[in-house]
Amino acid sequence: MSYYRGICNFCGTGCGHLLQVEGNRVRGVYPLPGHPLSRGRLCVRGWHIHELLQTEERITSPLIREGNSFRPVSFDEAVDFTASRLKTFSGREVAFLGSPRASNEENYLFGKFARAVMKSNNLSLTSDAGLEESSRVLLEGCGLPAMTGSLSALRQADFILVVGGDLTKQNPIIASEIHFARRSGTFVATISPRKTQMARLSQKHLRPNPGTIWLLLEALARALRTEGLVRGDDLEERVENARQYLEYLDSLDLKQASESTGVEEQEIISLARKFYESESAFAFYPVGIQSLDRRSMSALLNLFLLAGKLDRPAGGMCPVTGISNLLGSLDMGVSPAFLPGYFPVEAEESWRRFEELWQVGLNRTPGKSAAACLQEDRSIKALLVVDHDEEIIRHVNRIKELEFVVYFGAYQNAFASLATVIFPRLNYVEGDGTYTNSERRVQLSQKKVEPPAGIKPMWEILSRLASALGQPWPYKSAEEIMTEISRVVPQYSGLSHEKLRASLGLRWPVDDRHPGGTEFPLAEETGRGFKFVFDGAADRRQSLRSGKEGVFPFKLVVGRSNYFWHQNSVMKRTFIPRREYNALLLLYPNGFVEVSEEDARALGLREKQPVRIVSEAAEIRLATRISPDILPGMLYIPYFIEEMISGFLHRQVSELEKNEEFFLPVRLEKVE
Amino acid sequence: MYWLPRDQVRALVNRLAESYAVYGPRRDEVSGEVVFDRLEELERLDLQAAIPYNPPKHALLPQYEEILKYLYSKQSQKVTIEKISKVEPKALVGLRACDLNGILCLDRFFLGQEFVDEIYLEHRKKLFIISNTCVRPFPQCFCVCTDSGPAAGEGFDLDLTCAGQGYLVLVGSKKGQRLVEELGLREAGSEAQNLREKIVAESVSSFDNFALENKAWVSRATNRLTTGFIKPEVWEYIGNQCFECGACSFVCPTCSCFNVEDVNRVDGPTDRVRTWDSCSFEGYTKMAGDHNPRKPVEDRRNKRFFCKLSYSQSKKYLRPGCVGCGRCARVCPGDIGLPNVVTYIRREITGE
Ligand code: SF4
Ligand code: SF4
Ligand code: SF4
Ligand code: SF4
Repeated sequence: MSYYRGICNFCGTGCGHLLQVEGNRVRGVYPLPGHPLSRGRLCVRGWHIHELLQTEERITSPLIREGNSFRPVSFDEAVDFTASRLKTFSGREVAFLGSPRASNEENYLFGKFARAVMKSNNLSLTSDAGLEESSRVLLEGCGLPAMTGSLSALRQADFILVVGGDLTKQNPIIASEIHFARRSGTFVATISPRKTQMARLSQKHLRPNPGTIWLLLEALARALRTEGLVRGDDLEERVENARQYLEYLDSLDLKQASESTGVEEQEIISLARKFYESESAFAFYPVGIQSLDRRSMSALLNLFLLAGKLDRPAGGMCPVTGISNLLGSLDMGVSPAFLPGYFPVEAEESWRRFEELWQVGLNRTPGKSAAACLQEDRSIKALLVVDHDEEIIRHVNRIKELEFVVYFGAYQNAFASLATVIFPRLNYVEGDGTYTNSERRVQLSQKKVEPPAGIKPMWEILSRLASALGQPWPYKSAEEIMTEISRVVPQYSGLSHEKLRASLGLRWPVDDRHPGGTEFPLAEETGRGFKFVFDGAADRRQSLRSGKEGVFPFKLVVGRSNYFWHQNSVMKRTFIPRREYNALLLLYPNGFVEVSEEDARALGLREKQPVRIVSEAAEIRLATRISPDILPGMLYIPYFIEEMISGFLHRQVSELEKNEEFFLPVRLEKVE
Repeated sequence: MYWLPRDQVRALVNRLAESYAVYGPRRDEVSGEVVFDRLEELERLDLQAAIPYNPPKHALLPQYEEILKYLYSKQSQKVTIEKISKVEPKALVGLRACDLNGILCLDRFFLGQEFVDEIYLEHRKKLFIISNTCVRPFPQCFCVCTDSGPAAGEGFDLDLTCAGQGYLVLVGSKKGQRLVEELGLREAGSEAQNLREKIVAESVSSFDNFALENKAWVSRATNRLTTGFIKPEVWEYIGNQCFECGACSFVCPTCSCFNVEDVNRVDGPTDRVRTWDSCSFEGYTKMAGDHNPRKPVEDRRNKRFFCKLSYSQSKKYLRPGCVGCGRCARVCPGDIGLPNVVTYIRREITGE
């Protein structure tokens, strides 16, 4: 036998695949037809994961820095050295950056190491911003911190609303499910300024001006009121703070909103009606790589609450995670906001619970994200990072100043060169681990090849470190860690590797009441407290203008293409996706900016004409690409040119990564 | 024709396993799906299983294959090139007729033109092929429209047709004849030929009841494609739905696109690798111009269907480039597998 069942480890869709393994090497990949979600499909990334898994650019030995180079050392020496250095820092001097590509077991243990051993609560993921925000909004609004809907029921839905991003690029197989739903009769509407492929595949595309998605969503809600579809007294029975919210909502002037968003009032009203009349409705929005902002997420949730769409099956709010185990990593509490299982750090009981479970005293002062620590906190002296190299762009200088940096990684990359100690990691087919996709589906990925000699699993490295720091940890396998997770994380209480081995993934909550997992967690709960999420201040709608429109008349938005994905640290180790990325670069060696046909005509721009894009802080030279996909007044740069990230967008990167609604006011100058 | 009792299938396979790595259909325990795989555990071979999700292409044209290694020596200023040949003899057992025809198409591409692909040839020379008649089609099948099934006509060493308690065995080569004799199979008798024909005819007539997923009136589409009477909007409609994943090429038993890459090592030899590729990718045929950023996707779609269906391509393959296996329809995220495209072309559908 050479084809082994597994799951794709790139994005949060979690497609099923078959990996072809011969002679301890992964030689090929094929889609797994029986997989309940991907049903035999993979995207271009998934079709080339075997190329990544063959790369020889591995870190194969623990390394300790000596001056400007690294000395290979034994595992024992690396552990002893690291432990001796870590001993010298207090909890608040250390920050931890977990990886959304690492397994639940690894992330759980990493978090436990931070909190229980190092007494540090400075713990986060990189691309967490959007997901954590989404989880907070959903927790507040409906009590469930993740997807309330289910992807396997998509094709039965009446109505699907896709907000922001381009799912066909970020999570292609989820987009494909939506496409199939549409082909079997579902009404699909997309809200995004750009005419994305997702928009092309929808029956309706509303194109709000950059930065006004949230307003359009509020306008849709408002239309339900002006059309007399939602009455206040009904609502007060269903949703806790209905009265306050309606007050807030009813202060919105539909005409004005239509003007600010650039979407016709009639379009807003007819979409609102269509949505209201549907039996079952789903909302999709991206989190993780390019997320909606909190305001838009809440507006979307409120719209669904208002129309009463959340308490019935075959529908719901669907945040779509951009990286394989982003959701699982948050489930495991790799976050400054939550302990494992979404116990909030603000609550004393949360800490008590974990002190009891872990049998150790904890530092109850909440911490910050690793990014915030690097940005604002001069007291940070040490950093522990798992498989990662994105943060480097923003904080490279700050990281260089740190006294001690530990890197756990499978592949050589830019981050590794900043480390004091490097521990090699297994790649995901060299050990067992579970990964949780966007729809809460926990899937076991089983070991398929032997790791290069000398590489130890994360649990072994962390256990050895914990022991050296005075807390002997007993773990002997990833499976045992899942046993502990099932005791600690209520949503995972019914999970074990044994159970997962015989399944194609189970959706949490998996517990006594739902031994086979849960498709629609909200539908079963009666009397769940729903709550509108809004900050109550209607006046924030007013100033949509920056006042600088005269000098910087264009709104520049940035997006990600199919092949360029995570600063390409992953894709550049493949052949085909890398080539595809290069194909675009060959045509536009210095990158391009997309200009609408209307603006190009008005400015007299030709295809490929060099232009200068000037913002308040910086400028960049690019080639013009005239595009039918963007609105007049808008410019679009795909996020794939190294120089653009490090130079031009440097200061805005964190905003960009957090926020789909982000745009940069710029002007465009011709270069003759 | 010979007769192979069911309980002797194991003996046949065991005999093959002495000289070949045995490949065949097996079922995945958890998902229940059929995979065409290398079988170390011969009892996993399942001749009743449905058409495998993957074609046997990987046995001749691996998804990733080192084809040679070279090393530059600074001292001698010489390059040494070494052929990496790990081609082992393989027996492909239980091939469906469509997949066998797929191999014949690959043969014409890799062997039948001016250049003979030596690596492919080496794989090919070492194959032992046993085909397996479909006594009933599967939901995705449309080989009757592409003249490639449900029974094999040529290209096999042995061909099996299930009939009651055993298989009718057709011999297609000397290798096959030798094996039959070694196993001591008995002649199937004078009625065998008729019986096989009857079974095949019943299978063909059951397409209406069982092969329900795809209908492809291929000849009409071939006509339209060849004469070029297809509106650009049809291609645009199709192109808009393409996710550019490459799956349609990867899963197609007749697709032969490949890519060659060099894997360099800092101080060591360089491996030259051949991998699967697809014309659906932008980088596969680097485009010039690039005026309308959407156009190329449609053009690339266009190319694939031209390759599968046009008359000029059919002349090259001596048959249509599509063998009716229905796989591309199952793996396509855009729902534009070949049968759907044929429908769009036929009906000139540009909207719903
Ligand atoms: S959609 Fe995501 S999980 Fe699925 S194949 Fe593509 S990258 Fe992998
Ligand atoms: S397409 Fe024809 S030959 Fe192929 S599996 Fe189906 S019935 Fe058999
Ligand atoms: S084009 Fe599609 S149906 Fe035809 S042989 Fe290829 S994969 Fe099979
Ligand atoms: S399988 Fe479908 S989506 Fe993928 S490249 Fe082929 S036609 Fe396009």
